[in-house]
Amino acid sequence: MLLSPGQRILRAVAAWAVVMLFAFPIYYWVTVSIKLDREIFSIPPKVFSFETSAKSYEEVFGISLGFEQGLSVLPGGGDFYMTPRLWDSIVIAVCSTALAIVIATLAAYALSRMRFRGQHHFVFWILSTRMMPPVAVAIPMFFIYRDFGLLDTYHGVILIHALMNMPLAVLLLKSFFDDIPKEIDEAALIDGASRFLVFRKLVLPMAMGGIAATAVLCFIFSWTEFLFVLTLTQTGLKTVPVVSSTFVTSTGTAWGNMAALGTAAILPAFIFILLVQKNLVRGLTLGSVKQ
Amino acid sequence: MRESDRKLYLASVTDRYVRGDLSRRKFLRAASKLGLGAGALGLTATMPFGFRGGVFNTAAAAEIVPDADMMAWLKDVAKPFAGQTIRLATESTPPSNAINEHLKPFFEEATGINVEIEVLPLEQVLQKLTLDVASGLGTYDLYYLDQSWMASFSGDVLDPREKYAAKPDLAMPNYNFDDFLGPLVDGISMYDGIMVGVPYDIPIFIYMYRKDVYDELGLKVATTMDEFLANAQAIQKAKGPDIYGTTGQMKSGHYSLECDWTAWLWGHGGSIFGPDQKFSGNDAEGLEAMDYWVKLKENMPPGVTSWTWDGQGQSVAQGIAGQVLSWGEFFPSWDNPDASQVSGLMEAAIPPAPKALRTVEQTGFGEIPGVGHQGGSSLAVSKYSKSPDAAWLFAQWATSADTQVFITTLGGGTGPTRTSVYDDARVKANAKPGIPGTTRHLNVVRETIDNYMGSEPDLPEWAELANDTIPVELGRFFAGEYDSAKAAMDSIAEKTNKIVSG
Repeated sequence: MLLSPGQRILRAVAAWAVVMLFAFPIYYWVTVSIKLDREIFSIPPKVFSFETSAKSYEEVFGISLGFEQGLSVLPGGGDFYMTPRLWDSIVIAVCSTALAIVIATLAAYALSRMRFRGQHHFVFWILSTRMMPPVAVAIPMFFIYRDFGLLDTYHGVILIHALMNMPLAVLLLKSFFDDIPKEIDEAALIDGASRFLVFRKLVLPMAMGGIAATAVLCFIFSWTEFLFVLTLTQTGLKTVPVVSSTFVTSTGTAWGNMAALGTAAILPAFIFILLVQKNLVRGLTLGSVKQ
Repeated sequence: MRESDRKLYLASVTDRYVRGDLSRRKFLRAASKLGLGAGALGLTATMPFGFRGGVFNTAAAAEIVPDADMMAWLKDVAKPFAGQTIRLATESTPPSNAINEHLKPFFEEATGINVEIEVLPLEQVLQKLTLDVASGLGTYDLYYLDQSWMASFSGDVLDPREKYAAKPDLAMPNYNFDDFLGPLVDGISMYDGIMVGVPYDIPIFIYMYRKDVYDELGLKVATTMDEFLANAQAIQKAKGPDIYGTTGQMKSGHYSLECDWTAWLWGHGGSIFGPDQKFSGNDAEGLEAMDYWVKLKENMPPGVTSWTWDGQGQSVAQGIAGQVLSWGEFFPSWDNPDASQVSGLMEAAIPPAPKALRTVEQTGFGEIPGVGHQGGSSLAVSKYSKSPDAAWLFAQWATSADTQVFITTLGGGTGPTRTSVYDDARVKANAKPGIPGTTRHLNVVRETIDNYMGSEPDLPEWAELANDTIPVELGRFFAGEYDSAKAAMDSIAEKTNKIVSG
């Protein structure tokens, strides 16, 4: 359908308006991170014109950006120095995503291609593990982790995040595998390929889009998860959502520091999504047209 | 030059440097004459002390020279514990931040004991400590205990006085329990004859107002509840809505709302509990307090019912409130020109006198009525700790007079818990307007603690009542869900009595 010039302009304006609507909160959050504290809540709000300062970033990341009197800044190691916590988040999100995807891919392929007694119940059981509110599990998990020595450890948090993501990943991936014709497997099996070879060489490459989409979801779940990290860690490690709450002090909230950490925390997730973007678009549209 | 003169001179030149009256070169030259290099002055690092954007006082940071005798004693006595790790879960408060940020390394270096401090919002600290106690795990060697939790944790800690007496070899010389302000020991440390912890910090309600606004309108500092309301109304009438008469921390379901309520309740001769240990906030005095509060709220910014202490503090910092009865530890942040629009404009005064005041005997569960609501906390050694002796050494050091002086001058602004700290020359040297970490409000804080302090009741159910039951129902009242204050108070009475009776 051909659009008139007026319609094209209208469409562009509408598109920009929608983009602005979603981008403005991010813009405002970024500006909070570079404002002076006294200007964050100024009335009326200073949206575009304000005095800038890198103080929040210097405090949160313990680095000098050269804005503050030319002084060098060393890692303080205190409450607001968050670089190690950003690293904790990256390690946990990447590893838990990898673990969840590896196991879920195998499980989903089996559920998609093989038949066994009680399969439907098994799938429902997987789904049902998502029905329980995490808060109901958090405290029992604390005691289990204590007994197994998993409290406050990377592998403990990675494990719980992988377990948390597994049901969703299995079900999502199963639907992606279901969309790949079984005939491909059967042809390869007749030609003498083993089941695992079929999985590795044929089905897996075809499902990469779905796997990427699932990985993004797992990564974001882990990146933003709060309750389990809060309950199962102490001083050894913490992720960004939990340490963000430490900016809430008895005498007020350090909004500038929180915004600085939040702004920085957008980047790893953004980079991860960029890396898998090519597959992601395919994954999200895979299966949209049934044969 | 005497040590005290040297420190005061150093504070003076550093202050001039921070204000820009002294060049960096001249400052370093002056400092070097005092025997301090740039590293000792903290010039190689900006200190990320984060009390709402930088109350941190550079001048005070330059003065961290711990008492040599105390550090030598710690070094000697801690030898058996070197290499041990102790953990503390605490709210992000000025003392905890100052210790974690600046002071902890001195203790660790002297003792060889590793200190790990987990900083969390208050409700998360409660969750962590509850889990620790329930599991008996001893994950945390030290507990930061809000005064409202004293009863709940009284059976899970070591009485510091008993510990001090039982282990004379670990008893810090000149620690002096009698130096702690008497009302604080009663109000935040004691439960049922047990000293649950050592007084650690003391946020307390004081009366703070905009001197420029008061001068302009010819207002006098209120000495009564009625005058406080009249001042709020006068400011609102003359300056509103640019400047509201007062402000509040009235978020539904939040502890801050309960804190505001108690100040007005006690200030009208009411109490939370009667001597029969039944809720008494719905009696005549309690309803009079609610009536007063409703009138006061008419002079507050409209967003006040969604604010905790955070929003309340910001509203004053942004210059839209003419006066407030609230936490004194806000005061230094309002004087900080980087964080506030009212730097140098605020003044502190003792709270207005109550219309009537009940005695402790006329209340229940050890409640102490007083307009100066206190939200203090204590530092306790867990009885489940695997390193109780190392933890006890840390607790003594963290609450010693010398450490408290540094905590106070570092700019947290919280009131010290020891008498001697209020009188310390280094603390008094910071009593200037318009600087981060001012201590010019501390005389008022001290007088309020001594004479006007109010403390919440001590009962195991209080954490639930103060953090949930009462503020939820008060929030419903201000949201218009009750026809009258009496209906709201009767509802609170019913729920509270049910919880207390089990």
